[in-house]
Amino acid sequence: MELKEEGCPIGSSLSDSGTIVAVTEDECRLEGQGAEKSSTKKVFQTLQRKVLELQRVLMDHFFRMTSQRVQSLSPEDQQRPQGSWKWIKRMGSLMSRMANLIWAEATKELKFKEPLPRSDPRCDIKAGQQALSSWQPDQPGPRLGGFEAAFVSHVLSRRGTGICDLYRANFQSYEAYQRDKYHKEKNPTGYINLGTSENKLCLDLIKERLSQRDMNQIEEDLLQYSDWQGQPFLRKELASFLTCYCRAPTPLDPEKVVVLNGCSSVFSSLAMVLCDPGDAFLIPTPCYSGFAFSSCLYSKVELIPVYLESQADSSFSQLTMDILELTLTQAKMKEKKVKGLVLVNPQNPLGEVYTRSMMKEYLAFAKNLPDPNKTHMIWGTSKDFGISGFRFGVLYTHNKEVASAMRAFGYLHGVSGITQFKLCQLLQDREWIDQLYLPTNHSRLRKAYLYVAKRLEKLKVPFFNGGSGLYVWIDLRAYLSPCTFDQEQILCQCFQDNKLLLSRGRAYMCKEPGWFRLIFAGDQLQVKVALDRFCQVLKEHKKDPRLKQLEPAIAT
Amino acid sequence: MDSGYDDSLPGECLRKPDWKQLKLYGVGDPVAMFSSDSSCLSSRGRVSKWFWDSAEEGYRTYHMDEYDEDKNPSGIINLGTSENKLCFDLLSRRLTQNDMLHVEPSLLQYPDWRGHLFLREEVAKFLSFYCKSPAPLKPENVVVLNGCASLFSALATVLCEAGEALLIPTPYYGAITQHVYLYGNVRLAYVYLESEGVKVKGLILINPQNPLGDIYSPEELQEFLGFAMRHQLHVIMDEVYMLSVFEESLGYRSVLSLERLPDPQRTHVMWATSKDFGMSGLRFGILYTENQHVATAVASLCRYHGLSGLVQHQMAQLLRDHDWISQVYLPENHARLKAAHTYVSEELRALGIPFVSRGAGFFIWVDLRKFLPRGTFEEEGLLWRQFLDNKVLLSCGKTFECKEPGWFRVVFSDKENRLRLGMQRVRQVLERQPQVVEEASPCHTQEPSTQPI
Repeated sequence: MELKEEGCPIGSSLSDSGTIVAVTEDECRLEGQGAEKSSTKKVFQTLQRKVLELQRVLMDHFFRMTSQRVQSLSPEDQQRPQGSWKWIKRMGSLMSRMANLIWAEATKELKFKEPLPRSDPRCDIKAGQQALSSWQPDQPGPRLGGFEAAFVSHVLSRRGTGICDLYRANFQSYEAYQRDKYHKEKNPTGYINLGTSENKLCLDLIKERLSQRDMNQIEEDLLQYSDWQGQPFLRKELASFLTCYCRAPTPLDPEKVVVLNGCSSVFSSLAMVLCDPGDAFLIPTPCYSGFAFSSCLYSKVELIPVYLESQADSSFSQLTMDILELTLTQAKMKEKKVKGLVLVNPQNPLGEVYTRSMMKEYLAFAKNLPDPNKTHMIWGTSKDFGISGFRFGVLYTHNKEVASAMRAFGYLHGVSGITQFKLCQLLQDREWIDQLYLPTNHSRLRKAYLYVAKRLEKLKVPFFNGGSGLYVWIDLRAYLSPCTFDQEQILCQCFQDNKLLLSRGRAYMCKEPGWFRLIFAGDQLQVKVALDRFCQVLKEHKKDPRLKQLEPAIAT
Repeated sequence: MDSGYDDSLPGECLRKPDWKQLKLYGVGDPVAMFSSDSSCLSSRGRVSKWFWDSAEEGYRTYHMDEYDEDKNPSGIINLGTSENKLCFDLLSRRLTQNDMLHVEPSLLQYPDWRGHLFLREEVAKFLSFYCKSPAPLKPENVVVLNGCASLFSALATVLCEAGEALLIPTPYYGAITQHVYLYGNVRLAYVYLESEGVKVKGLILINPQNPLGDIYSPEELQEFLGFAMRHQLHVIMDEVYMLSVFEESLGYRSVLSLERLPDPQRTHVMWATSKDFGMSGLRFGILYTENQHVATAVASLCRYHGLSGLVQHQMAQLLRDHDWISQVYLPENHARLKAAHTYVSEELRALGIPFVSRGAGFFIWVDLRKFLPRGTFEEEGLLWRQFLDNKVLLSCGKTFECKEPGWFRVVFSDKENRLRLGMQRVRQVLERQPQVVEEASPCHTQEPSTQPI
């Protein structure tokens, strides 16, 4: 590999700091393949060290600028990011990516396992994350972070900064999409989002049903404070609905139903009510990334992954008692207080369904945990009825104490009376559900799945779906070299740069890099265009990975 | 400071925050309060359950036995919950018009968590107009959540660490204690700043005030804001009753109407349709702040405080309709509030009961101290229960952290027949009260600690 680089052009803007970090050509030029490993290793190390030194100098400069500004500027001016700050931020990000790349290359090309050296502690971990319980699994290569965090913490609390950072880091692409959505005519270069799990296939049916007369009644008690557990008429309907569609052996009790504004809210409140800060839940992975937020943002509950292994046919190993026991033992050895087990059935992202006997086994396992025989079921209309914008989720629990404790959170997660009314009307209409909606929905889902499956097969990309859900789990390990999470991030960024959003395996606490989740239940045309973009990215990615990696970093 | 009240009504003026008194209110050490025999809940789960069980007793009792003219004439009349029930006819008419019935795919899908842009734009225009801001307000400074309770929770969480505190003048509506504590683990303090190692991060001001029904003048506002700036405190302005000032002569000014704020980066305004538009069940509240870091931090929690896209559309339609608001709704609403307020005031005067009320909000702050011979909170609780047993629900001063026992809040924003019946039942209880206390009955009392709203 030959790399020629000139001395970094940073001298002029840092003249006041009196330090110039120069990287000479000698230090940069690498001998060809036949070079002594030790001298090449030395070069890599030097290069890395220089980059990190440069980063430190930038940080010092930034902080000096920042503290001067904080004191001298009026409050309004403190907020506006000045042009030079933006530049420094870009440089900082570039430094981080370069350091990461150098390290990745060193590990792969020269096959030595150096730990990533300590970067400037001010950007090693963003200021706020220390306030959060660790929710990411131990992975090599900490993310070298941005610069804003340090300033932001003047205004927000540490946990506020942490929340903000966590959200920004993980929802940046979602927000970009919200501002720049694809439209066939008005915005053909906009983002197509196949990363967020939504069913857009039956919006016509839902829209029609929601526009009917019976949906538009306004009654006094719908506009007033009501039972924070959920309006009684709705809870009654939900008990009946769930009894029917979950095939409960005995009728479910409306008193044990709690209604909140979304399953995320249900999970967040449940985490509060069942766990104290720092307690943990076990969760089989790969698992839906949102759980990590909902357990952590407000509730500070840790999720301990129960890793399932990937298999030859792109499926994953089954969740067995052995794996559960092992994970639990390991957790106990680290003195974690495990309070529960989270099971998602049908599974996300694998789309598998647990059999009756498997469920019985898992529940039996749970009895061994400190809190025996506590089963709480969460459901919502976001996926099954494609109305994620309604903000509605249900908890059914056999435990009256838990239902009681959840009521206090009803205040903070309340659902509008009008929305509750419409939902009740919708769920009551069994005829519409059984004879129009469900059959149509299932057939459209099947068709959409087959379309995506066909295209992936053509591309020779292995994928998996267990027969349910709105997504396929794709194996792109062959496109990552080396197969690391950093490379996975780079590929994900490539998709994003091509205005395609997918979700990546790391966010699902997948043990192995290279897995992605793709939603097939989107608008037909959009899915087609998205897959075209997908093909394009994969083609280019195979071509010249190294060049592609640096490009976005320089262009930003 | 001169209260400006009617001279014939000696009322205690509790307008200024109680700077000198050293008293930290919070939930104390809730973990210690509860035995661990409820095995499945966490300690904070036990606290939430306790909030529900003990604090909502009056409310729950009421819900199990609600007054209805035809179906349950002996049910409980609720003069305790601050809701405006006077204009349902106007609201239902407006909310069932065609523009409200619009259903569109984008409203049914995952939104911008900060709130749909069309709604934030309407909110900015609405506030610019009705708060009379000197310059147009910006949509990017608006964050939408499902109610002010959620706003308190989110703000407490992002501005404070666990265990820190926010200052609040008393009396105040007690539910805020729960809102900042449940998730945020933040306490409320009416204490001077350096005390017992508790870090105070901000000041909460409610304007118009609840339960006093009074307003802060622009000069007073500037004083508080200046104080906060000197101590680098955030100011959370709760202006949820901003359009419910039915006495125009009060000259209410929103903080957004001030020409210059001492510290705009630390001034955060919240408002909702719950009170001003009589839609407490709708769950729609907004935050307005120029501080983008605070706005983003709160928006990061909006996943948990989202509201239906259809409701967002309806709210935008409502707020956009300045004609209906200014020419139909507000004049009628204020007229009805004024009439109801007059009625209850007259009843109180006839009973010789002093009260405080200036013409904002839905309630009157009533002085029943003379009915408590020993002047204790226990007696206040007993009196509250007597009202409840006589089928009328009021809110007692303790739930507002009132310094002195004997104050009650009476809500008047309900239909005339209910007010009449309610006041009749109140009168019955008061007429039964002896001047000299008899032997206190050894019955079990449960003091209500917080009421919803």
